[in-house]
Amino acid sequence: MSTSANESVPGLKQKKVFKIIVLGDSGVGKTCLTFRFCEGQFLDKSEATIGVDFRERTIKIRNEDIKLQLWDTAGQERFRKSMVQHYYRNVHAVVIVYDITKPETFHSIASWMQEIESHGLMGAPRVLVGNKCDCGTPESRLATTYAQRLADKYGMPLFETSALLDSECDNVESIFMTLAHKLYSKQPLRVISVEGELGPRRVTLSRQKRPLRNDTCLCS
Amino acid sequence: MDSYDSDPDSGDKCNLNGDCSPLPDKLPNDLNHTKNIDDIATPSELNFDQEFAFEDPEITEKKKEIEACLENPDVINVDQWETFAKTKAGLISDEYRRKIWPLLVGVTQDELTEPPSLDELSTHPEYNQVVLDVNRSLKRFPPGIPYEQRVALQDQLTVLILRVIIKHPHLKYYQGYHDVAITLLLVCGDRASFPLLCRLSYGPKAPLAPFMQLTMQPTQHLLNYMLPVIRRADDRLAECLDKSGVGTMFALPWYLTWFGHSLNRYSDVVRLYDYFLCAPPLFPVYVTAAIVLHRAPQVFSCDADMAMMHCLLSRLPDDLPFEDILVVAQKLYEKNDPTDLESEVAALERREEEQRKVEDERMRRRRAGRVVPSPSLPYRLARYLPAPLRRTPRRTLLALTAAILAVYVYYKPELFR
Repeated sequence: MSTSANESVPGLKQKKVFKIIVLGDSGVGKTCLTFRFCEGQFLDKSEATIGVDFRERTIKIRNEDIKLQLWDTAGQERFRKSMVQHYYRNVHAVVIVYDITKPETFHSIASWMQEIESHGLMGAPRVLVGNKCDCGTPESRLATTYAQRLADKYGMPLFETSALLDSECDNVESIFMTLAHKLYSKQPLRVISVEGELGPRRVTLSRQKRPLRNDTCLCS
Repeated sequence: MDSYDSDPDSGDKCNLNGDCSPLPDKLPNDLNHTKNIDDIATPSELNFDQEFAFEDPEITEKKKEIEACLENPDVINVDQWETFAKTKAGLISDEYRRKIWPLLVGVTQDELTEPPSLDELSTHPEYNQVVLDVNRSLKRFPPGIPYEQRVALQDQLTVLILRVIIKHPHLKYYQGYHDVAITLLLVCGDRASFPLLCRLSYGPKAPLAPFMQLTMQPTQHLLNYMLPVIRRADDRLAECLDKSGVGTMFALPWYLTWFGHSLNRYSDVVRLYDYFLCAPPLFPVYVTAAIVLHRAPQVFSCDADMAMMHCLLSRLPDDLPFEDILVVAQKLYEKNDPTDLESEVAALERREEEQRKVEDERMRRRRAGRVVPSPSLPYRLARYLPAPLRRTPRRTLLALTAAILAVYVYYKPELFR
C-alpha cells in the first residue's frame, strides 16, 4: 500500500496514518461504534455491513495530526475467509467488539483471537470492547469481571461502552485514542521505518511516553 | 385481495394476479403515476420519491404499449417483456413491475402459495442472523411507513428468506440477500416474491446461486471479471485502480444485492432490477465496470491509496445516469463476453495468489517473532546480482561496495552536503 511510501517523503508534511481493523460478531455494533467515533453521533439506521466499510478521522497527538483509518468489517463468518483477509494487511491495531447482552458474541472472542493470530497481529495493540451497555437489565449483561478476566488473559485493555449514549461519547473516544497513543509511542518501529529506507533519510521521532489514562489498563 | 386498503394488518397485501388497479385517491401533485409499493402503503403518505411532474412522451407511449400487453399477458412472448425491461426507463412503475417481474423469470400461477407463519420457521439455524439483518433494513422501507406496517413487512421478509433456504438447504444465507429479498417483496408482495426469489437463487443459471455457496470464493471469482472489462475499455483507469490496490471489495455489496444496499433512490434500484431479472447472471458485474468507467475522472484525481480509493468508489453518488450506464454495460458485455475474459481473470487470480503467498510468508516471519516486514535490503539487492557473485563472501562484497561508494562520493560530493 502506498501510505508508507507517502510518509517517506522527507520535508513534506504528510499525515501519519494508523490503520485499525474492527472485528466482532454480526450485530454487536461495529458500524455504530466506528460511526460514533468518526462522526460524533449515533447511526440511526444502521444496516448490515457487506464486506468492508471504511471510516476515518484525524486526531491530534502532541500537536501532530494523525489520521485514524477504521476498517469496519462484516460480522458474518462467510465474509471473513478470503474476503476480509486482504484487509488485515498492514493493519496496525485491532478492536474486537462484543455485545454485552449477548453472551455468544463474547464467546466467539476466542475465534476472533485465532483469526488475529493467524494474521500475525498478536504483537499489535488490541482492545476489547463490550458494546451496548445501555441495553438489557444488569442481570442480563455479561459481568465485567468475567470480561476483564478474558481481556487480561489476552493482555488487552477492556472497555465497556455504548455507541448509542451521548454520555458514553468520551468512552468511545478513549477506545480509539488509547490505540492511537499506543501506536504513536511505538511508531519509530512500526510506521516510520520504511522498508529499505537508508540512513540519511530516516525520520526519527522522539519516543514519547505513553499518556497516562486513569480509565484504562494498558497492560499489554 | 384485490383492493387497496390501508389496514396495516392485512396479511397478504398483494398477489401476482391481483388487480393492481390505479389508486383510489391520487396525490394532487402526483400528476402521472408511479406509486411505489402503493399496495402496502397508505397511499397518501407512502412513496419513495416524487416522480418528475412532466412525462417524457416516449415514456407515455411505452406505458400505453405495456398496458396493452398486460391486458392479455398470456399471448405475450417473454421477449416482449424483456424488451420493455431493458429499454429506456425499464418497466416504469411498480404497478407494471408487480405483474411483469414474475413473468420475466417464468413464475407460474401454481407457484404462488401461502407463506407459512414466522413461528414455524424460527428454529432454523440461520434464523437469528436473518432477523438481525432484517431488523436493520429500515433504510429500505418507504419513508413514513407506519410502524405496524413496517414490522409486518419485516416479518414477511424473514419468512421469505427462510422459506427459500429451507426449500434449498444447500443454499447459504449471506448478508445482502435480505436486500434482494426486500426489493422483490416490496414490488411483488409475499406470495409472488417467493417463487421469484427461488428462481434467482437456485439453478444452473440462477444469478444469486454463486453467492450462496459454502464460501464466498465463487463470488470473488465472478467479481474479478470487473477489472479485465475495465482494462479493455480504459487501460489507464485499470492501471490506476491496480496501483491503488483497491481490489474489488468496494463493488461487493453492489453485486451481492444488485445495488439494493448501496443506492439511496428506490427508483434506481427497481430500474436496475428490471434489467437484471432478464440479463445474463454476470451482467451486474458489467454494470459495476460501467459505473467505475463513468467515474474515471474522480478515480484519476484520487490518491493512489487503497483506503481513499475504496472510500471514493464504494459510495455511489445519487445522480448516476443509470440509463446510460446500462447501455454502456450492455455494449461492454457484447464486446467482452465472459468466456473471452477467462484467461485474463485467471492471470489476475494467479497474480493475487502469488501476492498472497508473499503475504503469508511475511506473516509467518512476523509470527516467528522477527520484526522483518519484508526481505532485508542486502537480500533484495542480492536478487539483482548474478549467481556467482551471490556466493561471494560477505566481507568481499562489503569491501567492494565501500570501494564503489568511495569512488561515487568522490565524483558526486554534492550528494552528501
